[in-house]
Amino acid sequence: MYLNSYNLPCVTISMNFTSVMFSGFKEVREEEKSQMVGKVFSNVASNYDLMNDFMSGGLHRLWKDRLVSKLSPFPGMKHLDVAGGTGDVAFRILESVNSIKRRALQDPLNDDLQEETRIYVCDINPNMLDVGKNRALEKGLGEDKSLVWVQGDAEALSFEDNSMDGYTIAFGIRNVTHIEKVLSEAYRVLKRGGRFLCLELSHVDIPVFKELYDFYSFSVIPRLGEIVAGDRESYQYLVESIRRFPPQEKFASMIADAGFQKVEYENLVGGVVAIHSGLKI
Amino acid sequence: MYRTVVNRILLTKNTGGGRRCLLRFPDLRTAVSSSRFSTTTEPQTFPNRPLNPADSSTSSSSTSFQTSSAAGDIPRQERKNPRAEYQGEQARVLQASLRHVLRLGWSEEAMIAGAKEVGISPSIVGSFPRKEAALVEFFMDDCLQRLIDRIDSGEELQDLIPSQCIYKLVRFRLEMQAPYISKWPQALSIQAHPLNVSTSFKQRAMLVDEIWHAAGDEASDLDWYVKRTVLGGIYSTTEIYMLTDSSPEFRDTWLFLDNRVKDAFDLKKTIQEATYLAEAVGAGMGSSLQGFVGKVIQR
Repeated sequence: MYLNSYNLPCVTISMNFTSVMFSGFKEVREEEKSQMVGKVFSNVASNYDLMNDFMSGGLHRLWKDRLVSKLSPFPGMKHLDVAGGTGDVAFRILESVNSIKRRALQDPLNDDLQEETRIYVCDINPNMLDVGKNRALEKGLGEDKSLVWVQGDAEALSFEDNSMDGYTIAFGIRNVTHIEKVLSEAYRVLKRGGRFLCLELSHVDIPVFKELYDFYSFSVIPRLGEIVAGDRESYQYLVESIRRFPPQEKFASMIADAGFQKVEYENLVGGVVAIHSGLKI
Repeated sequence: MYRTVVNRILLTKNTGGGRRCLLRFPDLRTAVSSSRFSTTTEPQTFPNRPLNPADSSTSSSSTSFQTSSAAGDIPRQERKNPRAEYQGEQARVLQASLRHVLRLGWSEEAMIAGAKEVGISPSIVGSFPRKEAALVEFFMDDCLQRLIDRIDSGEELQDLIPSQCIYKLVRFRLEMQAPYISKWPQALSIQAHPLNVSTSFKQRAMLVDEIWHAAGDEASDLDWYVKRTVLGGIYSTTEIYMLTDSSPEFRDTWLFLDNRVKDAFDLKKTIQEATYLAEAVGAGMGSSLQGFVGKVIQR
């Protein structure tokens, strides 16, 4: 591994560091990783959705659709979307639940249930949450009781044990400092029968495609970040953090270690993105 | 298909030796097991379970495993049990969902209602690969299991001639569907869906195989396929006839079935007679053709 030549103010390497976290390809201390991530996302919040569209060619919408269809939401569900600041996944779940309601009109019980649906959007970064709240207003969901915006840390959730039917984390888990803590918190808040779903950029193994993808990641994306968002370094960090994240099988075993059963993953676009799922019994 | 194995373990009420077991191994695509990182699939970890008739609940079967195992085996058994748990829970949810099918149809709503009844979050419905199809396939496996139990426990079947045996078994099997008959067309359409066709075909093939086996069939040549196909045809047509039958206790359906079975057995004789006839005609035609051609050449 090589040390990046950028000279960001938050990179410090002291002789008696207690623990070193690898973040991107720079060595940073644990305590500073969350600060660094905070800085990155405060910088990108306002252009987050736009950059997502550019970088993935609009595909991120399909990926999130696939995530929500795998989840199979139902009326009355209590769902937690972590690191879902701008609300993409939460809005999709809400739409899905509302359409099911219309389909199941024959069952009078469901009318009461519809009131009980709660989708908690949790994000550590208030800027991202603000963007999400504004988008909700634009969609006309500002008064909807079902959406609850909560600021919180994925490693120490403020929700009770066994309180959630579903847990999703889309493109968030590679930014956390301790993946195991996030997974065990997810296990804690889920009810029996609850599902954990994680959508994340992952590793590509297909021979020729891998080289193309690497070229795209390291050459095209930081340049795009510079042009569109005026922030090359944040997107450089992004691309490097994808490479540092564990590959599909390793991540699946980490999920299983947290206590989940029926752990599976599905590769989309040859492994560029993977949806991992687990069941709590 | 794995549900047959799971049902054997969880839902069978009979204990005692000498039971025939279906060793159908599950076809799971699970990447990782619950507590160990490995890519072994279920067949390799359930070597003995189908042969041990267990009690009807997961918890009692898991405790019976733990008490009966030696110290060195316990880690291995505990590893097996958590993995089996989610399948057991899924089976419980499906079993409970069947009670809601009449009201809600073979649908996600019925499965959600079933999950709530059992006390598990309805999110588990999302973990079934093809949702409604999972429910229908579970029901088909369950019925097959009950049929096998009936075959195993009924000695009088061996005294009957094959056509009567087949009539009895097909009738017994179709009667299991009678309570759901109002929603059965939906189940048939789910089974006919391209994604589900292969599994439902396999289940029906197994069903037909079991019935012929019980009727004492020993054939292993081309006849085997012919017999299964014919019985498959009888079963399907009777099933569809039953959908529109409104006679009390489906009397007309059983009459229809009786006639079809008789036709099929007559068909065997009919085919033989048709073969003789074809040979005779061929012989007759052949000689007259020869004579005709001979006359033409002579000219």
